[in-house]
Amino acid sequence: MREYEIDVIIKNKPIVKDPEGETILKDLIHKQGYDTITSARAGKLISLRVKAANGEKAKKITYDMCNELRIYNPVVHTLDIKVKGE
Amino acid sequence: MVNGREDVSLSESEMGYIRNAMGREPNPLELGMLDIMFSEHCSYKSSRPILKLLPGAGKRVVVGQGYDAGVMDVDDGWVVNIRMESHNHPSAIEPYNGAATGIGGIIRDVLCQGARPIALVDSLRFGPLKSARSRWLFKYVVKGIGDYGNCTGIPTVAGEVEFDESFENNCLVNVACIGLARKENLVLAKASHPGDLLILVGGSTGRDGIHGVTFASKVLTDKSEEDRPSVQIGDPFTKKRIVEGTLKAIETGYVRGLKDLGGGGLTCAASEMAAKGGCGAEIDISKMHLREEGMTPYEIMLSESQERMLFAVKDIQVTEVFDRYETPYAVVGKVTDSKYLVVKHGEKMLARVPAELLADPPTVERRAIKPLVKLEKTKGVPRKIGMLEILSSQNIASKEWVYRQYDHEVGVRTITKPGDGDSAVMMLPNEKALAIAADCNSGHAYLDPYIGGSGAVAESCRNVAATGGEPLAIVDCCNFGDPEKPELFWQFKEAVKGIADMCTGLEVPCIGGNVSFYNESSGTGKAVKPCPAVVALGLVNSLDHITPMQFQKVGDAVLILGETHRELGGSEYYRLSGIDGGEIPKIDASREKRSIDAVLSAIKSGSVSSCHDCSRGGLGVALAIMAIRGGLGATIELEKVPFKDLSFEEVLFSETHSRFILTSEEENVKALMGLLETSSVPFARIGKVSTTLTFRWQNEEHDFPIDRMTSVWENVIPKYMEGGEK
Repeated sequence: MREYEIDVIIKNKPIVKDPEGETILKDLIHKQGYDTITSARAGKLISLRVKAANGEKAKKITYDMCNELRIYNPVVHTLDIKVKGE
Repeated sequence: MVNGREDVSLSESEMGYIRNAMGREPNPLELGMLDIMFSEHCSYKSSRPILKLLPGAGKRVVVGQGYDAGVMDVDDGWVVNIRMESHNHPSAIEPYNGAATGIGGIIRDVLCQGARPIALVDSLRFGPLKSARSRWLFKYVVKGIGDYGNCTGIPTVAGEVEFDESFENNCLVNVACIGLARKENLVLAKASHPGDLLILVGGSTGRDGIHGVTFASKVLTDKSEEDRPSVQIGDPFTKKRIVEGTLKAIETGYVRGLKDLGGGGLTCAASEMAAKGGCGAEIDISKMHLREEGMTPYEIMLSESQERMLFAVKDIQVTEVFDRYETPYAVVGKVTDSKYLVVKHGEKMLARVPAELLADPPTVERRAIKPLVKLEKTKGVPRKIGMLEILSSQNIASKEWVYRQYDHEVGVRTITKPGDGDSAVMMLPNEKALAIAADCNSGHAYLDPYIGGSGAVAESCRNVAATGGEPLAIVDCCNFGDPEKPELFWQFKEAVKGIADMCTGLEVPCIGGNVSFYNESSGTGKAVKPCPAVVALGLVNSLDHITPMQFQKVGDAVLILGETHRELGGSEYYRLSGIDGGEIPKIDASREKRSIDAVLSAIKSGSVSSCHDCSRGGLGVALAIMAIRGGLGATIELEKVPFKDLSFEEVLFSETHSRFILTSEEENVKALMGLLETSSVPFARIGKVSTTLTFRWQNEEHDFPIDRMTSVWENVIPKYMEGGEK
């Protein structure tokens, strides 16, 4: 068993409106003149350390946990699980 | 399925009606627009014939049923408006945004009449909290309401929460908003001046929420979880700008009609405004502000993207206001005299449908059959439930976990806060106040929907009266199962009759409402218990009349108004002892009116120090809560309560209507009792306020220390929600 570093990234699905990202883009980035930046999407990042036999299993544990505890809602969010060093 | 299209749910007879009205076959875009407008959610095709029963007239009614919100005159040129709506289906799959956009929608309904939204109310129903899914729904619905209300600066001041197995798969999220306006600033959702410009203001139009209403007119299936397009995302900060921008725009005097975009999107707003004003409308979709590329006309016309309003204005100058508030807008068309809703892209005609056909589809006669319910008769004596057990029921327990997440004071109008009175009381600008209460008991409504409907009106009116408000008007939100099932439609019909009869009896108009059908799960085939939720408004004529609910001072006399009968059917007591049937509390509108009038005259005489109505949990729970909230107790001679031949538990926990508990300072008791003598309502002095709650019964004393009751009552919901109790 080794410990894996895992990043869980939760964002609104691309098709779903993202008011937070829009506000950052409109009221901060564009108002300060960064015109070449054309899009901003906000989300949530959770860094975990997970004990597992291999990276695949660590990912699975994380995925199941996120579903069971409703850390995200599959209806509106995308869930991206990144295992570091794999 | 029509013309081979699975996404259209128009019936053959509806198609015949459409062909007849249009004189031709509708094209695919027209078909989509008609489909959405003929859906139950937009057309009320099943419910309209029944809703006609509701009395909507009254001397203070300024705008009654049929508009976005009902408007009541509260004197000195001020009016309040109110609207109530359900957001059940979206909340069941995405509780946070479902509830938030429910709040967003209801704010727009009030705003679009030119009123400043000043208060929110939520009436919520979930499965019992032992289920993880119920906890998830409960947590995020409350958070969604709180975040949205708090961000827009509108206090959430009143509400109710009920837990029952029947809401496990279909939670009910009903919300109401109350607005305040000068009478002369009212605007209606009408486009009655050909040539006026149509301006779409607010958020951009995207693919979100397409077909939200047809979704709400269907039973939830397992696939609903992936029914993604129906979910909308709330954007409260944009909403705040729209609120301020809209109110400023109305001040310019250029706005002649205004409607929010909710279910049915632009199709619904444009056709209803045109039809109400006896005009037509022309929309050029190439002018619209879109969020996504490649959107089809169908998607544009049906999108339910949030935070949008459709203005009919006589002068383009009004847009200066929108610029100032950084609110995006687009001139998308104009009001015409053609009586048609025309959709174009540039010069190309895409759709041309009579506005009236869209806005006023034919009703459907549904069969209503009284079900043969075999309810368990109460066999012998039910399991005895003690006071502490009843206080620890999720339905009785303190809802502070909910309302502490809400900013209930923003706007500094809130005088009586959640938990301090039977209703919330909001300051009005003319030294008067507005009392607001929400109620429904689905346990009663399940046993007898007529009594459920009339009881909800009675209880909410009692609640506003207990805080010193004269019942002014009600709005209702009816939540039922599939109306195509005659037994379920019967429930709806009975509940509406009950609401109507109680409104007539209490002389309180019903100034608006909402119907949500198809609240049932395909998995179990079970509908929710019928739920005719009601919000009542009361006018407090003098701030001196505002009365708290909690005990005030040791030594105050405790009185009960009204008789107690053996009526435990549908009660919390029976629910806990596992009994479904029983004698349901009877309803008598004239008795209710006498009780309410007696309480109001008592309060106005200045001799009442606190007042609380007896409802869920009966007299026992009412006294316990007055004690807990006041940090004081009372010694009650239970045998003095007006009743005939009842047991200790029956006196304490029977849920008979038309009852109030009053307290009065010793020096005022005589005057109070003299006044009540003249009211022809049975009453009795039953004890006095002390430091522990004691019931005397047949020479025995039953003691309930306040701190013990408090810790039980306060910790039920936090234990589930924070302790992770399974």
